[in-house]
Amino acid sequence: MAAAAAGSGTPREEEAPGGEAAATQAQAPTTAPGARLSRLPLARVKALVKADPDVTLAGQEAIFILARAAELFVETIAKDAYCCAQQGKRKTLQRRDLDNAIEAVDEFAFLEGTLD
Amino acid sequence: MAERPEDLNLPNAVITRIIKEALPDGVNISKEARSAISRAASVFVLYATSCANNFAMKGKRKTLNASDVLSAMEEMEFQRFVTPLKEALEAYRREQKGKKEASEQKKKDKDKKTDSEEQDKSREEDDEDEERLDEEEQNEEEEVDN
Repeated sequence: MAAAAAGSGTPREEEAPGGEAAATQAQAPTTAPGARLSRLPLARVKALVKADPDVTLAGQEAIFILARAAELFVETIAKDAYCCAQQGKRKTLQRRDLDNAIEAVDEFAFLEGTLD
Repeated sequence: MAERPEDLNLPNAVITRIIKEALPDGVNISKEARSAISRAASVFVLYATSCANNFAMKGKRKTLNASDVLSAMEEMEFQRFVTPLKEALEAYRREQKGKKEASEQKKKDKDKKTDSEEQDKSREEDDEDEERLDEEEQNEEEEVDN
């Protein structure tokens, strides 16, 4: 049983070094393989962090983790909102599903009143 | 360009992609829901920043670091994020280290050899240049010994 070598005809996403620019919009074009550790552009996350008047400086690692955490957050809230849509047997997530999720889930309490 | 912090949105295309990958195939998302999630993500970052800053101030530091953010996650009751974030941090640190060493290596090569251009080309082509890659590895070992 010959182990199939990676990239033997099946186009996997992470193969081409620096070839695809699909999701990495504002990020610097890195050629390192597997460099998509975060999809959100760090520059924009940094802008948000700097918007806080109490923050003096933020290290690069901190910005990176915040970006990654924001991604996890988006995944989480999308899934929770989807549960509500599923109960309504709909296949399109609506704004009200989001509102329901925010009300239902304690961790999202900080969002109340902020999305208008 | 005086924008409120909440208006600093993250790129729509990226947000949409993250959402679609989190949800089962065939599920759609309305524009309103998507932009609300985008907004929520911005608010999340702002809130996390504020929490993390509190930890930094407690530690009498002026620079937010990674552990401040991790502590903030726990404070915000997002403990489930902590483990994946730690893993991501490790990977990020390894990558940063690799990048740094690679660029330092490049600088030294430029100074030493005039063949550096050929070596750069060979790095991009993975097919034929195993021999040259071996040479580079040897060079790296020499540097480490020094």
